[in-house]
Formats: sequence, structure tokens, C-alpha cells
Amino acid sequence: MPQQRSLCVPRPLVVGSIEEHQRAPRPAAKMVTQKEKKSCGQVVEEWKEFVWNPRTHQFMGRTGTSWAFILLFYFVFYGFLTAMFTLTMWVMLQTVSDHTPKYQDRLATPGLMIRPKTENLDVVVNVSDAESWGQHVQKLNKFLEPYNDSVQAQKNDVCRPGRYYEQPDNGVLNYPKRACQFNRTQLGDCSGLGDPTHYGYSTGQPCVFIKMNRVINFYAGANQSMNVTCVGKREEDAENLGSFVMFPAHGNIDLMYFPYYGKKFHVNYTQPLVAVKFLNVTPNVEVNVECRINAVNIATDDERDKFAGRVAFKLRINKT
Amino acid sequence: MGQKTPQIYSVELNGAKDMKQTDKGDDKDKYRGLWSTCLELRKNHHKEHVTKEIDLDDHKLSNKELENKYHTNIVTGLSSTQAAELLARDGPNALSPPQETPEIIKFLKQMVGGFSILLWVGAILCWIAYGIQFSNDKSSSLDNVYLGTVLALVVILTGIFAYYQEAKSTNIMASFSKMIPQQALVIRDSEKKIIPAEQLVVGDIVEIKGGDQIPADIRLLFAQGCKVDNSSLTGESEPQPRSCEFTHDNPLETKNIGFYSTTCLEVSISPVGTATGMVINTGDRTIIGHIASLASGVGNEKTPIATEIEHFVHIVAGVAISIGVLFFIIAVSMKYRVLDSIIFLIGIIVANVPEGLLATVTVTLSLTAKRMAKKNCLVKNLEAVETLGSTSIICSDKTGTLTQNRMTVAHLWFDNQIFMADTSEDHFKQTFDQSSGTWASLSKIITLCNRAEFRPGQERVPIMKRVVVGDASETALLKFSEVVLGDVMEIRKRNHKVAEIPFNSTNKFQLSIHKTDDPTDKRFLMVMKGAPEKILEKCSTIMVNGQEQPLDQSTAEAFYTAYMELGGLGERVLGFCHLYLSADEFPETYSFDVDAMNFPMSNLCFVGLLSMIDPPRSTVPDAITKCRSAGIKVIMVTGDHPITAKAIAKSVGIISANSETVEDIAKRLNIAVEQVNKQDAKAVVVTGMELKDMSEDQLDEVLTSYPEIVFARTSPQQKLIIVEGCQRQDAVVAVTGDGVNDSPALKKADIGIAMGIAGSDAAKNAADMVLLDDNFASIVTGVEEGRLIFDNLKKTIAYTLTKNIAELCPFLIYIIVGVPLPLGTITILFIDLGTDIVPSIALAYEKAESDIMNRKPRHKKKDRLVNKPLAVYSYLHIGLMQSLGAFLVYFTVYAQEGFRPSTLINLRVEWEKDFVNNLEDSYGQEWTRYQRKYLEWTGYTAFFIGIMIQQIADLIIRKTRKNSIFQQGLFRNKVIWVGIASQIIIALILSYGLGSITALNFTMLRPQYWFVAVPHAFLIWVYDEVRKLFIRLYPGSWWDKNMYY
Repeated sequence: MPQQRSLCVPRPLVVGSIEEHQRAPRPAAKMVTQKEKKSCGQVVEEWKEFVWNPRTHQFMGRTGTSWAFILLFYFVFYGFLTAMFTLTMWVMLQTVSDHTPKYQDRLATPGLMIRPKTENLDVVVNVSDAESWGQHVQKLNKFLEPYNDSVQAQKNDVCRPGRYYEQPDNGVLNYPKRACQFNRTQLGDCSGLGDPTHYGYSTGQPCVFIKMNRVINFYAGANQSMNVTCVGKREEDAENLGSFVMFPAHGNIDLMYFPYYGKKFHVNYTQPLVAVKFLNVTPNVEVNVECRINAVNIATDDERDKFAGRVAFKLRINKT
Repeated sequence: MGQKTPQIYSVELNGAKDMKQTDKGDDKDKYRGLWSTCLELRKNHHKEHVTKEIDLDDHKLSNKELENKYHTNIVTGLSSTQAAELLARDGPNALSPPQETPEIIKFLKQMVGGFSILLWVGAILCWIAYGIQFSNDKSSSLDNVYLGTVLALVVILTGIFAYYQEAKSTNIMASFSKMIPQQALVIRDSEKKIIPAEQLVVGDIVEIKGGDQIPADIRLLFAQGCKVDNSSLTGESEPQPRSCEFTHDNPLETKNIGFYSTTCLEVSISPVGTATGMVINTGDRTIIGHIASLASGVGNEKTPIATEIEHFVHIVAGVAISIGVLFFIIAVSMKYRVLDSIIFLIGIIVANVPEGLLATVTVTLSLTAKRMAKKNCLVKNLEAVETLGSTSIICSDKTGTLTQNRMTVAHLWFDNQIFMADTSEDHFKQTFDQSSGTWASLSKIITLCNRAEFRPGQERVPIMKRVVVGDASETALLKFSEVVLGDVMEIRKRNHKVAEIPFNSTNKFQLSIHKTDDPTDKRFLMVMKGAPEKILEKCSTIMVNGQEQPLDQSTAEAFYTAYMELGGLGERVLGFCHLYLSADEFPETYSFDVDAMNFPMSNLCFVGLLSMIDPPRSTVPDAITKCRSAGIKVIMVTGDHPITAKAIAKSVGIISANSETVEDIAKRLNIAVEQVNKQDAKAVVVTGMELKDMSEDQLDEVLTSYPEIVFARTSPQQKLIIVEGCQRQDAVVAVTGDGVNDSPALKKADIGIAMGIAGSDAAKNAADMVLLDDNFASIVTGVEEGRLIFDNLKKTIAYTLTKNIAELCPFLIYIIVGVPLPLGTITILFIDLGTDIVPSIALAYEKAESDIMNRKPRHKKKDRLVNKPLAVYSYLHIGLMQSLGAFLVYFTVYAQEGFRPSTLINLRVEWEKDFVNNLEDSYGQEWTRYQRKYLEWTGYTAFFIGIMIQQIADLIIRKTRKNSIFQQGLFRNKVIWVGIASQIIIALILSYGLGSITALNFTMLRPQYWFVAVPHAFLIWVYDEVRKLFIRLYPGSWWDKNMYY
């Protein structure tokens, strides 16, 4: 029997043990037998050694130089990636104009929206509770401030109604573009000017303002007059809704407020509004109201987009 | 046993002795080995059903006692009613199949294994989130329910898929193990009946013909000239005589017991042609049943690839959970609602888990399994495909695996010269000098003194493939003479045989007397062959160059030298002599009496020697060389004689040409074996006897210190000990075997390889793989495939992991920066289970980068499938680059639609409010919720396309890990291009075909956006080429260590 055979003869199968480069070489035969389960203490010991190995001067499995290398590498590499990304982003942004978006395919139909803007578009008015509608009123006050006649007169032009207010560039950038006046007084009873009823909220005859989303270069109405109409969504809603009045009359939106030229060009653009004053809503019931714009080139029957050319909101007047 | 070992391995010619010849004296040890292994296993495994000892004394009982014991009658048999009762009591006479895991458990395992748990958690979180939402607001959207359902569906579908794959590969095997139902001829109610062997009960009287399988453990009651092949029990196919006498106390050794599943080779034709026996044990209570239950007691080791995949799953799950939890905490501390944070968590999990990967791995493995099946390696267990690749030690059988399993004439000695015969598988021509007169005489003896015959009707079959009736040596001689001389049967016909003495072990010769085909010569020719020394004894002359010369001292010495030399080659040597009987003494009418021996038996003329060997398969030496260069140690484990074993080991290269054993050195230096410096010896031949006396440590020492090892004269049970020894070296061990009692070793091995042709069903059941052609070279091709698949799986995983970062980053940016969600959860699933599937499978078709058979087998614990560089490089390098590219596409889409990047920051809250229908973009335009949603989906699609385009680059760079793509060839693997095409087509369908189905969140993307990420894709390619270049330029450098995965 070969008994005194050297135990250190390197054999490929045994030499490649995990600890090979970390621990002093052991006789081959012994390395084979140390395959028992590790005790808890050994695990802790191994962890300690992993965090700082005093023999090889390794911290977390790497020597100082190795750490330096790796950090330098990632610094350079990520620096390069950042530069690359920045460059490509910059190139991409060159394709985008400052004034008009490249594509508007998603905005073929402008949406409608109401003010006061409330959570889930629920307009709830507790007539007796001033606080419940107070916030709406505050919002509206703020919203309507730019519509004050004085502001409008100062900033905007008086335009000829019934036609688009076009300001073409004709080869030369023509900006800032002028905007047409929309005076707060046009909102009549809903203007809130000298109004002790606070847009009707204190009396349970609230005003809701309807506005159409801005879309650049959109010729709403296709040269024909357009207006906003409101109805109760279902039959019972229609009953409960009662009568209402609209300002400007018939909920008309004039063509002169179009087209919109974008934030940058059309600095003082004032969005046209339609105010609806609900006169005798059945109290203490939720009324679903739907307002839509009647314009030749605005479809209001998109099944997926419930706000394309229309707006649905809930109205509830609580009276005790 | 030491002194019993003959110096020269000459094997007596025996009527039916096979080449797996072992010394008779070994039988006891063999059985003892079997027994002690059994007992040892029992101790180790505490299996209840094996604890009952075999308590067999039926062999000692007389027929009468037996009748009483089993309430039967030897003549009339059992009555049908008795048999039915016993059958009901003992159950059918069949081995109970190994306990199969129920299908439903297998299925459920697939459902919860791997990443499934994570995804289930995700799905359940989704439903919980919806539950909370619903309790707050009855009209909340069903998105979360959908997502949860989709996740559950993904788990279930991938589970079903994996289960199906698994089942398919198991089915291949099932067809294997199905045997033709065995029939038994039984005497019941005084009638002979043929019944299925399953219905046998103890006490049944059965009749057995030659060629039958013994249907149960039986006590022979009547048998004449009966021989059985106990190879399925002992692994050695030496036929053993059986009679009805009680010859040994040990039931395993006594002659009057026949064992279940062994084969009865022959029964003397006269007087009845059958042997009769009484069934004494059935089913699992048989000896074979005991061994089979032992095999099932040996635990199956977890396959290396299963360990690797588990490791990989742990890494990915660890990353997923830690990032998920980290961002959950971040989200909560950023004042996100807990519900939202939970949804983020789900998103992070989904992004991190490569849902399609495990299915891909299964497909990849089964593709390789198919490929291997074509190369005659049938893989039972898919995971074993890779195990073969990481094999570091192969313990191979000799007979049939390394050798051709048929005796072939290897050398001839006549005219004082040794001639070599061609032993290759398909030899047509023998090229030695055939002009000598001695050859003419010798060839005549070979032809005539031979009882073997070709089965009729094989004229068109090549000679070497014809079926022969006769024992191995005679078959070899017959085929040899047929090749050299032509139609042997015709020659025999012309030389009419008048008398014959067949071989028997006392005479050790075979003799026949013929009329010659020379019509002028009226003399009889007596031809004889047998053990050379016995033949020489009978000779007084020797033929040289066709002339008879007196046999003097020098010629006798020449004979012994040749005899020794051939014997030293491990060959079986036969001597041939003849005598022309003088026509005067033996006239034509002379009646020869073989019992009275009325003819001369001395002063014959010695003609020549002929030696035979079971030659190595011609492909084996090459395969062994390949193994060696692949760092695989090939250990031969055989029951054969050490000299034969060593000779074969040398001729196939298991012991290489220039390495010597201790004994060789001693012989060369002419010193005592003890004086030899053992370190000089590279090779060692260990016999079973030596092995038995070795301690574990000593065996370990032998295994580690010699690169070339042959275990000879080992019992198949010692194989288990050897396998365990190898496994203690942390080696991945492949074991080949065919006998029933190889099955524990086959099970114990990391990969058990059963022989498809010679293997017993038990061996095939225990094995992970079946070699259809019993050829060692097939193992090597298997190793190659296994290594390739490991490399390619690495590539597949690297490819798949990369995009996980690109899927994860959107979520992180969404949470931290508050941009609209760049990539939806459903979209992620479309990448993982859609565009990425075919490409990752395509990587399995990648050719090896370098010669994979020139490197060492991977270290089980060191060379992981997923190692740190792989994870780091995939996640932090390519993955990050990919994310940037995809973000570029995303930002491009938003910017060109009106939302510049600066506007997007912190837009999330307003963006997602359903009632905000006038969100302002960078240009002052206002967007309704649906318009934004559509844009968000466009963003998803854009991000998706961005990832897809860069995954093409990723796919291309993953073709190699070290070589340049251009070295590997961009177009060599066509499947990669199929993969790329599939990616693009699926993306096109999703974007343009299904873009209108809102639930899928895809939109029609403008064609130009498909190309936005292309520069980034190129960057990925270039960067990876640079990485590979540096790895090639500076092997072993810091770069190599950190960047090579």
C-alpha cells in the first residue's frame, strides 16, 4: 500500500478549493475531509474575516488597491455614461421646438373642465355651512382675478368677435402674440363682482365655470359659432337639475379666442369661460351634470375619454 | 488469494464460459461483499422495509420438508384456491416500483419552486391592494386585480410548462422500463399452465427452459445440466451451474437456488429439457427485491445544475426583495401612501424576477438532452445534462464500455514468431504472413476443432456482426477463420467429423477427429486445442515452416516466452496441435470411442498458439485522451483479472504509455516492490482484496495521489465505496454500470450511467442517463454537450438578467423623481415572456468559444453558474446602459408630444389624478386624464421598444464571453437571428397589431422611435468588445478578474 506518499502532491481536483488563495496550503487529504457543517461561531468568524482580513489586508474581499481600482473604474465609467446620456438627450431636445410641440396627435379633441376644481369633480354645497363652500369661493376668486376688466384692458386687445384672431409668423417670428380680452363682467351674475351671494354658493344657486382645454393652433369650431350646453345625465338628474342660466348667453364661446399659440408666444392668453348658474337644484340629492361643447370639429362622443369635449360633474346642494 | 493468482492469465476453454471470467475463489468474496454492503447500507439508512433479514433455509430442506413447509405437492402443485389465497396474502410477484412522487406533488412543486413564490406574493399583494382600495372606494379601478391575475397566470403557466417538459423527459424513460410481461409455466391442480409471472406464489412448482428468466426465487427440485447467468445479481456474467443438491450453507452460494430475474442459460435437452423448481420467495421478498429496495434507500444527490439554479434564484430573489423593501421604506418615508408603496413593491418584484428564465432553462436543457439522445446518451433527468459536463471523475466499467464485449483473436504464435491480428470492430483482412505451411495446419485446427456455428440465414450480414451459437472463445475463432479462410462450414463439411471430445474443465482440452478433404489421403486428422501447457505436454514435435521438428528444450523455451508474453498482455491463450493418424492403424472404418479414448493422446505435433482478448473499442483511446485533456480522471473499475484490466487500461490509455505502476518500476529496476519510491509511480492497479483492507483515509490517499487508477477484481459493491471515496474529494463522479447491484453506486454517483444494451432494468432505473450504445466515447460527447450547456446557460442568464435593471430603473425613477411611470408591469411581462424567450433559447445553440474539452472540469463550489462578475456586469454595466437608452426613447416620446423632461419631474401626483383633466404641459396645452394615459402607454411602448432594441445588442454580445463576436462569427448561429427576428416581430405585433387593445397598454409607436435607442445599442456592443479585448490582452489581470463572467 502506498502509505508514505506525499500529501502535498498537487492534484487538480483538490487544489481548487475555495480557501486556496486565502489560507495557507494544507495537505490535500485534510482539505478533503473538512466538509462538515459550519458552526455559528465559524460563520461569525468568516464574516469578520470578510469585512477585514488582517492577513491579506482585504476589506470586504478586496484590497485597498483593488478598491481604488474599482472605484476609479466606476467613477470613469459612470461619468462616461452620464456624459453619453446627456449628449443624446441634448441631441434629442434639439429636435423639439421651444414654441410648439412636435406632435399633437393626442390632443385632437380638447377636453372640458370645470371650476371650482374639486376632488373627483364633486361640487358639494352645504348652504348653511359657510366653510364648505368657502373654499370654492376662494378658489374661484383667485381663478377669476386675471379676468378682471382692468387687467384685461391693460394687457389684452379688444378683438372682433366671430372670427379667429390669427397672428401668423409670415417667415419672421412674431411674438409675443396678442390675446383677446375676456372680461369678468361678461360672466354676468357669475362674475362674483359685488356679489353678496358669493357666486350663488351662499344661496344654493352656485355658479360652475366651464373651460375648454388649451390646444396649440387649434381652430375650435372650424369658423362656425359654438356653445356649451349642460344637461342632467339621466332623466332623474334632468329633473333634479332644474333650470340654469349661462354666461355669456347661450354658453357661447367666441372664435376670437382661437387659435392658441402656446405659453411662450401667447403670454397673456386668456381662456374663454362659460359660467353656469344653477337656479333651483333639488336639494339633498346628488345630481350628475354633463356639459358639452357643441362645435363642428370637436367630437364629444369618445367612449374612452370621458372628458373629450365634455365634462361630467356631480352637484349636490345640501339644505336643512 | 494472493498465491492463487496465476502468473499468466491463461483461461481454460470452457463450454460456455464467458469472457467476464473471474477466479472461482472470488465468488465467496463477491457474495460476501454483496452481503456486507447490504448490511452496511441498512445500518446507514435505517429504512424500515429493509431491516428484515433474509432468513432462508429452504436450500437445506429435503423435497418432502419443502412440501410440508409450503403445503404443496411437487407433482400436482398448488391448488388454484390455495394459490389465490396466497396471492391475496403476499401480493403479486413483482418488484414494487420505486416510490414515485405523486404527479400532483410534482406539479405543485413547479408552482412554488424558484421565483414562483415571489410572484405569488406579488399577486396576493395586488389583490390585497385592490381589497383596500375597494373598501375605501367602491368604484376603484380593477387594474390591480388584473395585474394579480396576470401574475398568478404567469406562475401557473410557467409551472405547467415546466411540469410538461419534465413529464415529457420522464416519459422517454418510462418506455424503457416497460418490460414484456413475463410468463411462467406453473403446475397447479396437477396441470401445467402458463400464467403471468406476477401471479406466482410461494409453493408453486415452476418449470424453466433454457433462455427463460427465472420468475421468482426458486429452490430447484429437478435440474440437469442447468446453468444460470447471475449477472443481474452479481454483475459477473460467468455462467453458474445449478443442480438440486444442497452444496453450501449460504443460500447465495448453494447450487439449488435460482434467483428471481436471473436468466437460465441452458438445461440439458435430455431427459426433459426443463428444470423444475419450487417458488420460495416472491416479489420484494426475493434477493433482487432486497437489493432493489437498498438502491432506493441511497439518497439521490442534488444535481450540480439544480444547486446552481437555486443559487441563482437566491441571488435574484435577494436582489428583488432587498431593493423592494428598500424602496418600500423610501417610498413610505417620502410620504407615499402605504398602498401605493405596496404597488411599487409589486412592480419592483415583477421587474426583478426573470419570469421566463426558468422555463427557458428547462427548454435549453431538454434541447441538449435531445441532442445527446441523438449521440446515444439518453438523459433521464434533465438536470443530468449538465452534471455530465462538470464531471471530474468517471468510474467506468471495462467490459462492453471500454471494450467491444466480444472475444477477438489478437495474436498468433507459430514458426517461432508472434503475429498480430487486426482487432478493430470491422476487420476484414488479416494481414499477417499466411504463406507458411504451419499456418495452413493451424488454420485447419482452428476451423475444425470448433463447435461454434453461425446461425443460418446470415449470409448478407458482415462476418463480425453475425450471431453465433457457441461460447465466446469459439465464436472468436470461428469468426477469425471465416474472415481468413472463407466459408468455414464448407470446410468442415469437406472434413467430415468422426469423433469429438468437447471441452471440460478436468481435461482442459477439446479434440475432434476428421476425415481429410484430400481424397488421396486416407489418414484421419486429429485436431486439438486447449490450455497451452496441457497441449504442449501431449506433444513431442513442433511444426516450423510446415515441417515437423522434434520438440527440444530451446523450442519449448521459445514457446514459454511467447506464452508469457501473450499472457502478460492480458490475453487468453490457447494452444493448438494435431496428429495425422496412420492409415494402417486407423483404417477408414475404424470406430473411435471417445469414452475409451482408443486413439493416441501423446506425441502429437504442436502447431501454434493463439491469443484472444476482448479488444478495446476503437473510439475509446481517443475518448480517454479527450477526457484527460478535459481534466477528467478516468478510473477503471472491473471485476476482471488485474493483468487483463491493466492491459486494457494500457491499450485504451487509462494508464498512459509512459506511466508505470510500482510493480512495473520494481520489475524494471529489478528491485523489490517495497524499495520503489512510490512517488515515481503514476499508475496503480488496486485489487478488490486490497481495497477491502483499506481504510477510508487510505483510499482517499490512493485516489488523490495517483492520476491513473485501475480497480480490478472488485465486486460491484466495492464500486459504491470507490464512488464515495471520489465524492469525498469534492469530485463530481460519473459511474457506469449495468448490473442490478450496481444500482446503489449508480444512485450514489452524481451521475449514474447505465448501459442501454447490457444494462439491467434496475440499473437503468437507478441511473440518470442511459448509454444506448454502451460506448464510452458517447460519454465524452455527453461531457462536451454538458460543458457547452453550462457555458450557454451562463450566457442565457446574463442576457436575461441584463434587462431586469432596465425594467427596474423605471420604477425607481418613478418613485424618486416622480416622472410618469415609464414602463408598466404588464409590459414588463411582455418582455420577459414575449420578446426575450426565443433569443435566450437561441443562445443554447451557440457553439463553444474555445475548445471546452481542453480545460479542467468546473469546480463544484468555485465556478458558479452565476458569479459576481456576471451579476455585476449584467446589472451595473450593460443593464444600466440599457436603462439609459430606454429612458432616452421615453423622454423623446414625451418631449415630442409636449412634455419636456424638466416638466415631467414631480409630475406624478397630478398626472395620476383621475379628475385632473386639464394638466398643463411644457407648452401650455392642457391634457385630459385619458390623453395622458394614452401618452403614458405610448411611453411604455417606447420604453419597451428601447429595451427590445438594446436586447438585440445584448443578445449579440452574449454570444461570446471572451472572444470577439467577429472571431465567433456573427452568422454561424442561425438561431440567434431567428431570435432577433422573433423579438422584432413580437414587438411589431404588440405595437401595431394589438396597439388598439387598451388592456395591454400598447400603442402604435411612430416608426422613428424604434431607432432612438440604436446608438445606445451600438455603444453596448462596442463597450463589450472593448471588455473582451482587454480580457484577451491581459489574462489574469484585474480587468480579467472583475469583468470575465
